[in-house]
Amino acid sequence: MNPLPLLLTLSSLLFALGLLAVLTRRNAILILVGIELMLNAANINFIAFWRYGSVEFDLTGPLFVMFSIAIAAAEAAVGLAIILMVFRHTRSTDLNRLDSLHG
Amino acid sequence: MRVPALIALVLGSFPSLGLAATDKPPLLTGESLPRLPQRLVEMALEALKAPDWLVSLASFATAAGTVVAVFLSAFALLSLIERKTLARAQNRLGPNRAGIFGILQPVADGIKMLTKEDIVPTKAEWFLHLVAPVMIVIPSILALGVIPYGREWLPVPLELGLVFFFATGTMTEVAVFIAGWASGSKFPMLGAMRAISQMISYELPLIISALSVVMLSGTLSLADIVAAQSGYHLGFIPAWNILTPWGFVAGIIFLIAANAESNRCPFDLPEGESEIVAGHMTEYSGFKYALFFMGEYLGLFAISGLGITLFLGGWQAPLPGLGFVPSWFWFFGKLAAIIFFFLWVRTTFPRVRVDQLMRFAWLCLIPIALLTLPVAALWHFTANPDGSNGVLSWLLCSAILAVPFIIITVIFNRRLAPSLRTYHYAE
Amino acid sequence: MVPLLLLSPLILLAALGAVWKARPVHAALLLALALALVAVLYLSVGAEFIGLVQFMVYVGGVAILIVFALLITRPGDEAAEVARRPRSLALGLVCVAPVLGILLYAVSKGLPVAAFEDANPKLPVQALGTELFENAVPAVLTVGVLLTAVLIGAALFAREPGPKSELPADR
Repeated sequence: MNPLPLLLTLSSLLFALGLLAVLTRRNAILILVGIELMLNAANINFIAFWRYGSVEFDLTGPLFVMFSIAIAAAEAAVGLAIILMVFRHTRSTDLNRLDSLHG
Repeated sequence: MRVPALIALVLGSFPSLGLAATDKPPLLTGESLPRLPQRLVEMALEALKAPDWLVSLASFATAAGTVVAVFLSAFALLSLIERKTLARAQNRLGPNRAGIFGILQPVADGIKMLTKEDIVPTKAEWFLHLVAPVMIVIPSILALGVIPYGREWLPVPLELGLVFFFATGTMTEVAVFIAGWASGSKFPMLGAMRAISQMISYELPLIISALSVVMLSGTLSLADIVAAQSGYHLGFIPAWNILTPWGFVAGIIFLIAANAESNRCPFDLPEGESEIVAGHMTEYSGFKYALFFMGEYLGLFAISGLGITLFLGGWQAPLPGLGFVPSWFWFFGKLAAIIFFFLWVRTTFPRVRVDQLMRFAWLCLIPIALLTLPVAALWHFTANPDGSNGVLSWLLCSAILAVPFIIITVIFNRRLAPSLRTYHYAE
Repeated sequence: MVPLLLLSPLILLAALGAVWKARPVHAALLLALALALVAVLYLSVGAEFIGLVQFMVYVGGVAILIVFALLITRPGDEAAEVARRPRSLALGLVCVAPVLGILLYAVSKGLPVAAFEDANPKLPVQALGTELFENAVPAVLTVGVLLTAVLIGAALFAREPGPKSELPADR
């Protein structure tokens, strides 16, 4: 039996969990946690289709994952730097309190 | 000892990894002596008609157990030698009560550590507090498993040995953080913050300097990197990476960064006892505290072993015609020399300040380490057809490395390095 | 197949903890655990290089960064977080359920026409490197520029504003 559906289900659930974290958390840093989970869910799909998919002798999946990992690291670094800057201004990382442009 | 089984479990998830070594060297030569336990276990199980998976698992566990046993005894020995060397440098005698020359001191220390009360602070999170020391020891042992100690003695022949080594190293950072945070007190937290920022900063020069070796060897397998350094120039100069311009610079950067990675003086701010008690280990006692020390020293062995493998030719003999000496003897000789060098540095240098530490990594080590990459490429492309390098190549590569080094050190010295300190005494 | 069956629930449990835990540091550590388990999953399907890189970047880099940021900033009130949880969770689930439904429906619709059980049993690292530096050079260069920009930008963002030197004077 091909384990592809198992991995795809895993990645769907992981994606849903990440989305849930992004939607329910109020701390900006913990929202980043959710985003990392979603990115990883996508990476699992790439690896799953590379490993058990329909194209043999192919490297597109791993290549994409390499780039995805590099960009995820960059995104985390910039995101956290921005959150730090916001924290310096408002003394809080709670997104509900960042409403000074509310009008 | 449950550790070998754990290694087998973790490494067993690598499908490419043949657990049992396939070659069968003769039983009792100097070269294959370290593999004697493994071979004996294999033969005994085969004689008992055990199933194949059991034979390979037992053989693997024995190979891992040999390495762990060797380095645990080396750790015990080093703890004594370190104290003796420090004492010698400070004009003291050092431990001399337990046994002749204090030779039984490690045993006494071990008994003391084991029988001490295990204290968990009330504010600590007991589970994470328990996990941290274990997580410190595991990566060091895993890293020791992939280093080639001799021609016949490579516990786990991994194709991606170098990446595996650095990947296990990152686990230490998480462990240090957990130790600092779970203790629920301020000195451990401060120590953990210092330790993590130091480890992240010094991991960059460490990895970059290793990259130049990977570039010119064309492989990530540590055994192949050692094999690429075989042979002798002019019949007697070993073809080690340290004896090339880029390798020399990268090797020294690796040495400094390794010293900082293993939190040793002069980079021992994370556990500077005069500032923050013992850093992330402050709230630990008894055997857990001993585990931290064990992890630290095993990590020191592992990273020194990696440096030897990358730059000092691994188990290769320093002169031709020494083939009758077992190759692992050379590895451990070099290891002893490097460790002694670390001890020497520890006795000589005072501890640096946090800002000096960071500046040194980011403004001095990393730029020069990055420079070794293009110079290594230049070295490769200016080589003669037979692989040796002419005088011109030597001069060019050395000059490209030397000029920025001089510029950086001059700037570094003029603007950033500390001058004589002014001391302010309490009134 | 067996390692996958063992790993999948563990990954999901760790991720659930990362989403559920009210204490921010616990959530971040569970995220590190989940990402490390994903790395083990990569190792067990034969993508060893990717697995090790994932371990190095996510566990050693991203998770540590997140934990560090949590320590520097002051996390919000945990009790308030727990108190408002039922409402926010209900709302979140209402939004997530359709997405998950669509994803699982797509998975259940079946595999691609010809899915091989062993399309690529092992990742050839040498070939991956060749591919990266021969055919994907523009992408590699772009990522390099991006990472350099990120390094400089993050350092500028995170720098303490105000007087340039708060460090003790050397002379």
